[in-house]
Amino acid sequence: MFSKQKPMWGEKTQLKSSYDAVIIGGGLHGLATAYYLAKEHGITDVAIIEKNYIGFGGAGRNTAIVRANQRTQYNVPLYNEALKLWPILTKELDYNLMFNNCGNLNLMHSEAAMKAARMTIATAQFHGVESHLIDAKEAKELVPALNISEDITFPIHGAMFHPPGGIVRHDAVVWGLARGANKYGVEIHQQTEATGIKTQNGKVTAVETSRGTINTKQVLISAGGYSAALIYGMLGIKLPISVLTIQAMVTQPLKPLLNHVVSSGAYHCYANQTLKGEVATGAHMDQWPNYTTQNTAHYIKHQAEALSEFLPCLRGVKFMRIWGGLADMTPDMAPIMDGNDHVEGFYMDCGWGYFGFKSCSAVGKYMAQFMAEKECPEILKPFNYRRYEKHQLMGETAALVNYTPDN
Amino acid sequence: MALTITCPICGKRNGYEFRYGGEDKGPRPEEAGLTPEAWCDYVHMNKCVAGVQKEWWFHKDGCGSWFTIHRDTTTNLEVKGPEADK
Amino acid sequence: MMTRFNQLPTLKIDPTKKVIFNYKGKTYSGVEGDTIASALYANGVRIYARSLKYHRPRGLYSLDGECSNTMMEVDGIPNVRTENTLLKQGMTVKEQNVKGSAEKDMLGFLDKLDWAMPAGFYYKMMHKPARIWPIAMKQIRKTAGLGEISPDFEMPGKFDEIFPRTDVVVIGGGPAGMTAALAAAEKGLRVIIMESRPWLGGFFDYRTAEYKDGVALYQRGQDLAQQVEANENIRVLKHTAMVGAYSNCLVTGFQTGTDKDAFNERYVEIRANSVIVATGCIERPLIFDNNERPGVMQVGCALRMARNYGILPGENGIFSVGHDLGLEAAIDLFDMGMKIGCVADVREDGQDPELVLALAKRNILLLKGWVATEAHGKKQVNKVSMSSIDGMITRDFDCDVLVASAGLTPVTGPLTMAQIKLRHDDFTGFFVADEMPENTFSAGRILGINNALSIECSGTLAGIKAAKACGACDAAEVEAAEAAMKALPGPVRGSKLVTAPVKGRKSFICFDEDTTIKSVKQTIDSGFDVPELVKRYSSAGLGPGQSGIPGHNLPLYVAKYQALAGVPVKPTTVRAPIVPTFIATYAGTNHTMHKRTPIHNLQVADKGILRKIGVWERVRYFSEDYSCKKEIENVRNNVGMLDGSTLGKFRLHGPDALKALQRIYVSDMSKLKPGRVKYSAMCNDDGCVIDDGVVVMLGENDYYITTSTGRAGQTVEWFRYHTRYDGWDFSMVNITDSMGVINLSGPNARKVFEKITDEDVSNEAFPYSGFKEMLFKDVIPAKVMRLGFVGELSYEFHVASSYMTSLWQLLKEAGAEFGIQNFGVEAQNVLRMEKCHIILGQESEQRTNLLDVGLGFLWDRKKADAKTVGAVALRQAENDPSRFKLVGFKMENNGRAPRDGALVVDSKVRGYIATARDSFSLNEAVGMALVESELAKVGTRLEIYEDECGDERIYGKVVPMPFYDPDGTRMKS
Repeated sequence: MFSKQKPMWGEKTQLKSSYDAVIIGGGLHGLATAYYLAKEHGITDVAIIEKNYIGFGGAGRNTAIVRANQRTQYNVPLYNEALKLWPILTKELDYNLMFNNCGNLNLMHSEAAMKAARMTIATAQFHGVESHLIDAKEAKELVPALNISEDITFPIHGAMFHPPGGIVRHDAVVWGLARGANKYGVEIHQQTEATGIKTQNGKVTAVETSRGTINTKQVLISAGGYSAALIYGMLGIKLPISVLTIQAMVTQPLKPLLNHVVSSGAYHCYANQTLKGEVATGAHMDQWPNYTTQNTAHYIKHQAEALSEFLPCLRGVKFMRIWGGLADMTPDMAPIMDGNDHVEGFYMDCGWGYFGFKSCSAVGKYMAQFMAEKECPEILKPFNYRRYEKHQLMGETAALVNYTPDN
Repeated sequence: MALTITCPICGKRNGYEFRYGGEDKGPRPEEAGLTPEAWCDYVHMNKCVAGVQKEWWFHKDGCGSWFTIHRDTTTNLEVKGPEADK
Repeated sequence: MMTRFNQLPTLKIDPTKKVIFNYKGKTYSGVEGDTIASALYANGVRIYARSLKYHRPRGLYSLDGECSNTMMEVDGIPNVRTENTLLKQGMTVKEQNVKGSAEKDMLGFLDKLDWAMPAGFYYKMMHKPARIWPIAMKQIRKTAGLGEISPDFEMPGKFDEIFPRTDVVVIGGGPAGMTAALAAAEKGLRVIIMESRPWLGGFFDYRTAEYKDGVALYQRGQDLAQQVEANENIRVLKHTAMVGAYSNCLVTGFQTGTDKDAFNERYVEIRANSVIVATGCIERPLIFDNNERPGVMQVGCALRMARNYGILPGENGIFSVGHDLGLEAAIDLFDMGMKIGCVADVREDGQDPELVLALAKRNILLLKGWVATEAHGKKQVNKVSMSSIDGMITRDFDCDVLVASAGLTPVTGPLTMAQIKLRHDDFTGFFVADEMPENTFSAGRILGINNALSIECSGTLAGIKAAKACGACDAAEVEAAEAAMKALPGPVRGSKLVTAPVKGRKSFICFDEDTTIKSVKQTIDSGFDVPELVKRYSSAGLGPGQSGIPGHNLPLYVAKYQALAGVPVKPTTVRAPIVPTFIATYAGTNHTMHKRTPIHNLQVADKGILRKIGVWERVRYFSEDYSCKKEIENVRNNVGMLDGSTLGKFRLHGPDALKALQRIYVSDMSKLKPGRVKYSAMCNDDGCVIDDGVVVMLGENDYYITTSTGRAGQTVEWFRYHTRYDGWDFSMVNITDSMGVINLSGPNARKVFEKITDEDVSNEAFPYSGFKEMLFKDVIPAKVMRLGFVGELSYEFHVASSYMTSLWQLLKEAGAEFGIQNFGVEAQNVLRMEKCHIILGQESEQRTNLLDVGLGFLWDRKKADAKTVGAVALRQAENDPSRFKLVGFKMENNGRAPRDGALVVDSKVRGYIATARDSFSLNEAVGMALVESELAKVGTRLEIYEDECGDERIYGKVVPMPFYDPDGTRMKS
């Protein structure tokens, strides 16, 4: 480590004219899939095509919260596996992903919310995932900064406490996976834009890029918020997705104050303290589709109002930086993972909304299996594309589908 | 970003006064012979255009009308629609 | 305490007025107008803080808050920038992030361990073996972070917010901003000018050099400020830092209150028709070894300390600069009494000859093409090494202050934030905007100009352009102003130097994060080759200074280091808030608002326990017994009253009103009859029930509608959305808040009702589902419905909010002889559950449609022409066996009720409990559950899994619904 550093994911190379598989999108899902394709399935002749630089999109813009306390039985096992993979990946990649399993505290602000939490907690416990319903006083013992008085907009009734969750250093995951994949021979082509997918007789034949055409029989689009536009633009397949900008921000660094991730649905707000000491907080989305990743005056103010109420000591702390990223929202708040449906050799992994980070490790593993074996693994089947036309929305949120994107 | 929307009745206003109502997909289809795929396409599926799209908005904190505008989703700015040039 | 100049015309302090404060437990004194940092400096303090990572000593560097060097804890508030926070009587000031003191920090040894902490060090270390990571992490957390805040800290002070609208907003109260404001105001426009310092004047304000005709720059600055303050069209917001700039001319900032203001800080959000960015320049830090040692400071800092605060920053100064302002400052400080050993200028030529002459006259050594390479002195600078920029010749000079500045850098933050693309201009060395959005203009030094007249002229031009954009003047005036601008000196060549000729192990590119040139090199070598990635990996620019220090140097250096690869200079991103801003300030007044019903006070007087439910404050319980036994039994056996005012209430009328009803409701609404209430439901396009309620026909094309409380806000929108292509003629008015509702329920309800009316309200005259418009006491008009949500004889009175108190009291008095009681929302919840009347969202969710929750009887399939919302999905899904169904269940062996949200399981999750209670009315536990349709048959045993149940299971059995009064005789008779 004291000698001159080498490029972590290889020297820049020429794009070849063909690969066994091409992955569009150098974010977490693409990198993880490439890593597992190479490591688990021996498919190393893989190119990752990234328009910007790896981790440019959601991978580098999320606040890195991980947890496995989802609502339904389809989601819990997947996220639970993802959660368990962090220490394993740290070791495998020999890169410190800085998993801080500090636990998540999800605040509940009404009797109805407590009931909803109980169902989620029972689902977690039924699947062997630790999660408990605690009352407001217990919540305050865990996070002394909480305001559990009645005189706020949404008084705290209790919380869902999920000890195995926490925070992972998102950039480290990007860089560690890139280095890991590259070690097996995966090529990462940054500043390279995928412009089209060629098909013949219902099969994928090539990917067109800003640096030339690549012949391949398998292509995965896992481009985060950009996936839906790419999939429609390249193959004419429409998706039940709305792409929204989601914002997050950090305060100036502080000595340890929050020992757990705190989140509140009613306040549309989460807060956790990074290892650097900054309080990272966010969650709000503007409800109209856009690709700007621009932040808004409206939101930073809203966030300050929310934090002023339930974490009032933060009023004496300063916001330092706000940013935005894209979230591709589906009506049922669950992703779409499918392949070989519309076109043979074409795979999609999208619609993650703001869950893309916490799922990436397990999804990479199973999408790689899907692409290697050309058979959808059992665990991914419920996430198929056709569920919407079958009126089988997943119920990851209880909320009914309105005509506008919601979160 | 500070979105503004031009309501046909109230004029250019702060975007937070409005609710987005989806891509313009045309009137409700006839029910006879409608396949699940076609219905799903109408109800759930989007083009997610990175560029100019025609879309519906509701002036919730204003006059209460539904109307369409053209907006560039890459800049969040309203733009003139193709009809404007006719 | 050092002596201070007290006669300068440029002073911002009043040396006659003492301000006493506490620093590290001792009493100090400053003067009125001092910032905390200037007062400390006057008291001899030089080391203000220790750095984040290496605990290096840090001192006063820029005076405008571009780095964390002078952040301290003030009155319990961490991370206060003392260099631009005004000193107040009685303040308590403490150092941060030190073990010991800033002077003697026990963690200072970390500075020697930098070799062990290369860029990305944390990623490569402390995870082998895995068990050391949790321990290391604790240590990292303790070491990281600057300030400290107590979990029970209460922010003192008052916070306010304003949202002004204006024609033109000018960001920056320097000469360009002021002339811009004056020019726009002259055209009759409303102007707001924001200035972050407590006074207008910008960089004219502390300079004695000549403006014109013997007038000094500071005098000109004062003159302009007077004109601006006197102009009625201009609103001056001083001490107002701009923090955000957005597209469509939205600008935010915060204002610091003075003693006369009713606020400490005020959030300001300005919506303008035009924006003028006149933010000027800050200095680009000079990078050399130990370039942040206390005693090293920027030109503006040194000069303003003397001119504004009356403090000569040192006795022996050395200058290493790259701009004429540096030479000018050296001359002025010399004249004020500073000895100056040498002025090194990185430029080989191009200096203003008059300044060169003035230096020569004072025998100040000027070294052209020279630069500082290292500051010496353990805690404070005492010597500096200089060298020619090729590194060939070196010389050392003793000093107690080193004034160092590589050049100027424009404050382009507002441009970047408003998404304006910037290009690196090789001549000025600035990032400049080639294309500006409509209605946004820049003026002043941000353009690269430096001549005083040019700066003012550029302001006038921008003001006129803004006026043109607002339609207040014509193109000819813009052309004239442009011509005037062309006649004056244009942009000035900028200094090219990026770093002094050193290796850079101790050359800091970012002070806040302790990022050195060496670690930036390591970062780029590791493959992070664009400035944004360098920031992420090396942390440069991610600290509290908002990139003020590295903002310009980092992209320059990244490009320089990769010069062979032909990498262009790309700016880094600037993010709001440009100045770190208190959460309290952003929150502003932050009222919490909830709606209250018209009889809220009566309910509270009756000891109602309130809950905030949606937008309302409602009574959920009337006693501390949350099972509501008394309330429930009273309704079942006697008579109760509920305040149902939160219910959504609408009037729908017009020729096409029926068409709209047919589109939205699943039932056939053409069958509505006057005098009858129709219960129906609305679905979304998935067939899920989105709302239920009743519709009453008041007359021809005239309907009265109720919706659930939670849905009231969206109902008009929903009707209009689903009819938006049709052009139907109907009006819909939300009268939720203007009407109140009283629900009178229980076997004695009719007896109570009869006491307040002479009309016949017998079961025959006013049957179940009946509707009557009535008048009580000759003055109270009411719509009365015979309903039965709770499963008893029940009347709902809808009256104007203003009559609610009267009617409520009338009913209460009438019911007194029966012992009428209040009941709340939770009692109602149990009562209706026993009757299996569902509440949407409680017994329904995204996976259940109208048919699944047992409301299929409402759906009329024969109105396809109406294109009823939800009908298509219902038809397509109705034979799908995989759906959830709502079932009723009882517990086995008279067991207790499961908790709401418990699961129905076998080897998998098969459903969940929607609502279940130990029923007082039935003497057993009953409930409703959503289960897979295989489990929906009556008699099926349900295995119930509750949270924290371990291996215990409880069992229920599917039974027919409803549980209570299955024939409905109680409700209907």
